Amino acid sequence: MAGLAALGILVLLALLTGFLVESAWPSLTHFGIGFLFGTVWDEPHNVFGAGPAIVDTILTSLFALLLAVPIALGVAIFLTQIAPAWLRRPLTYVVDLSAAIPSVVYGFWAFFVIVPLMNSTIEPGLTSLTGGRWPFPPSGSLGYDLLTATLVLTVMILPTIAAISRESMLAVPRIYRESALSLGATRWEATRMAVLGPARTGIVAGIMLGLGRALGETIAVTMVIGNVYILPGTIFSPGATLASWIVNNFSELTPASLAYQALLEMALILLAITVLVNVVARGLLWRFGSATEGGSPDRPRRHRRSRRSLVLAATSPAEPGTGGEPPAWRARVAAGVRSRLVRRRGVQWTVVGLTVLCLVIAIAPLASVILTLARLGGPAVVQPSFYTSLPPLGCNPNPFTTCSLGGIGPAIQGTFIMLGLGALIAVPMGLLAGIYVAEYGRNSFGKLVGFLADVMTGIPTIILGVFVFVLFIYFDHNAALSALSGGVALSVIMIPIVTRATIEALRSVPTGVRESATALGFPRHRVTVRVVLGSARSALVTGILLAASRALGDTAALLLTAGGSSFWFSSLNTQTAALTPFIFANFASSYQNLRTDAYGAALVLLAMMLGISLVARLAVRSGAAAPEGE
Amino acid sequence: MEATGVNAWYGRRQALYDISLAIPEGSVTAIIGPSGCGKSTFLRCLNRLHEETPGARVSGSILLDGEDLGKKDAVSVRFRVGMVFQRPSPFPNMSVFENVAAGLRLLGVRHRAELDQGVVEALELAGLWDEVKDDLDAPGTGLSGGQQQRLCIARALAVQPEVLLMDEPCSALDPIATNKIEALLQHLKTRYTVVIVTHNLAQAVRVSDTTAFFYLGKLVEMDRTEKIFHAPREKLTENYVTGRFG
Ligand SMILES: Nc1ncnc2c1ncn2[C@@H]1O[C@H](COP(=O)(O)OP(=O)(O)OP(=O)(O)O)[C@@H](O)[C@H]1O
Ligand SMILES: [Mg+2]
Repeated sequence: MAGLAALGILVLLALLTGFLVESAWPSLTHFGIGFLFGTVWDEPHNVFGAGPAIVDTILTSLFALLLAVPIALGVAIFLTQIAPAWLRRPLTYVVDLSAAIPSVVYGFWAFFVIVPLMNSTIEPGLTSLTGGRWPFPPSGSLGYDLLTATLVLTVMILPTIAAISRESMLAVPRIYRESALSLGATRWEATRMAVLGPARTGIVAGIMLGLGRALGETIAVTMVIGNVYILPGTIFSPGATLASWIVNNFSELTPASLAYQALLEMALILLAITVLVNVVARGLLWRFGSATEGGSPDRPRRHRRSRRSLVLAATSPAEPGTGGEPPAWRARVAAGVRSRLVRRRGVQWTVVGLTVLCLVIAIAPLASVILTLARLGGPAVVQPSFYTSLPPLGCNPNPFTTCSLGGIGPAIQGTFIMLGLGALIAVPMGLLAGIYVAEYGRNSFGKLVGFLADVMTGIPTIILGVFVFVLFIYFDHNAALSALSGGVALSVIMIPIVTRATIEALRSVPTGVRESATALGFPRHRVTVRVVLGSARSALVTGILLAASRALGDTAALLLTAGGSSFWFSSLNTQTAALTPFIFANFASSYQNLRTDAYGAALVLLAMMLGISLVARLAVRSGAAAPEGE
Repeated sequence: MEATGVNAWYGRRQALYDISLAIPEGSVTAIIGPSGCGKSTFLRCLNRLHEETPGARVSGSILLDGEDLGKKDAVSVRFRVGMVFQRPSPFPNMSVFENVAAGLRLLGVRHRAELDQGVVEALELAGLWDEVKDDLDAPGTGLSGGQQQRLCIARALAVQPEVLLMDEPCSALDPIATNKIEALLQHLKTRYTVVIVTHNLAQAVRVSDTTAFFYLGKLVEMDRTEKIFHAPREKLTENYVTGRFG
């Protein structure tokens, strides 16, 4: 059973790749390698190339990484090395919370806060500051451009990088830091020498995970990047990334058209890039994890053989025990200690200041998101009918008419139906696969499944959506846009997360529990089910909640699979409303009442996400949670 | 070095009660006592490492050369009072050379010749030079356990502290490696004040001049080592050194 589920993960990945390749095949053969370099997207003439999308994807992701990494490291350093003990938990929680905000909410926030700010202040400011030199010419993008997308990506990947870096730093045994302190290092010096060094593999892995997330980010980017298919000329050029171009065009194309196949080829490219990045990241994390378990967090790297020995040969060491005069430099160093200490303390305090600043930068967007959504969505969510009504006909109020607000009843209903459907598939499958890997999978097959589940959590959901759509087109094309299709897409999002969470939960059960149960004569599967699952219960619940919240917050996959509807759910085979697609479709509607509904829906979604993460947190607390190290 | 009325807490829990004792200079002082009696905590108070534990607190005063360490900057205190831990802890991302040079670099030693000289001196003092001189660029964690521990001693000695604190430095080592470190201690005490925590009573007899016996966070008795082991004043001490508990 469990073995079958584990096999299921492999099958899923194989199907994913297989179906994408199969469906994109005509485009692959038609354009060949030239597809990567083609710069136009011309439907009337059937000429397609992914060049601009690839360039924009890489540019925005790399620059976002460049901005996010120092800030994330500052946050991680503050949270693990500097913050007083009582502040660490709550601040960590807040930073982690910003990782749980759905991308449609970030996009929504960026649309209302960042884009206007860029348009009115930052971009003109940059232009005048640089005298309009390249790449800062006067911007005509109204704030919808690469720079804005980069900033939004920065905000979005920051918590991911900060979280992994923080965990890596915590995994470094305290003794190294204390050794450094005992040499007379300041806290910052101890961090630099004895924490950042040993944690570097984990930190690099965190950076790669952040990169993977940036490369595949879809909805938020789509909402601010301008969606123009040209090679960028300046940082104020509007553009389109692979993911944003796919989501923008997918539903308008007829399957089997060359444009559709070219779009699938784009998905394939995105899949290849993100899988590559995630394989590297996960590989590093695995190495880091197994090294920290052995006590030394990083494999010693062989140092370059320098000219060290030559210089040494030249200095003849004093005979030990001769008690000769101490060398002159010792006295010089001793004399300089005091003034040097002033400077070192200066550096220490500068670092403290900078890390606090990083923390503020990391938390500010969360605060702004909550405030913005509360302000915009507040008027809608206070009406009880908002939760139970159909969305209204589009309408703008004028002196002669008032518009009805309507509500998001069908969206809420559809969301829960598809979420339930997804969970129905994903929870058993993920649990079984996880049990297999954790309890039985000490062989290479088990390890492979565990690793692939890890990698799979990093595949952009837009690709999962494309895959499920293609799958349905193949087997049951009438249901390609339906609740069923949406539910399957959500399940594909959830399966690897549940699997991973299960593996981690089971591994955290002390072997003692397992052994004593076995010693009492329980057969193996009973041990697993009763004893081990029992003691890992709260961690499992947390994992399932995490998976559900990811599915709940996802837009890209649902947009491609559930379709949309303004009515109550009618059958599994018809298009169905859901919260995130509703927000995405209506946040910039030309009708005021629909916009208001979308604002309210965004606030409801945010509240649900925060609620889930709070419940998950409480579940961890109530379970036998391991103390947090520091 | 002199401690007066030292109390220490972890959160609300008190680990040390009113410890007052004088550590003679230029000799080896051993701290013994059953597990959990606060030996490590006391040692960590001596170089103000205790306060780096989140939630930890300390009161009382510790004097070194007549100066109250609590009133000075923690960094300059630790530079004068070095520490070697129970588990060998060479920095995992550094070579043998860089491990020993780490403290010197903090002090601002830049010139290669000076760094080389300081490192060689410390390695020789720690009795490790002959074993590592051919491969100074190898990772420090690649050495054997005993060598790693001597590397940590060399690392601590390189900045020429006045006092060297050692928390069960041999408990993770085999007898031969232990012998080497004990021999080293005899050599070191001519230049340094050494305080060593040990569970190995025979070791305390072999290496120390003075012994302090801790019990449940309190100092029971401190005296010349022969005295503690052969004619202790307190019944509790006698029971402990004769192996009747602990
Ligand atoms: N980080 C900590 N947090 C909370 N309590 C601690 C911490 N470290 C030590 N303690 C407690 O303080 C008391 C003294 O501990 P300490 O480590 O000083 O004992 P020890 O004499 O060195 O023991 P051992 O011989 O086992 O090393 C113990 O009761 C211990 O449980
Ligand atoms: Mg101890």
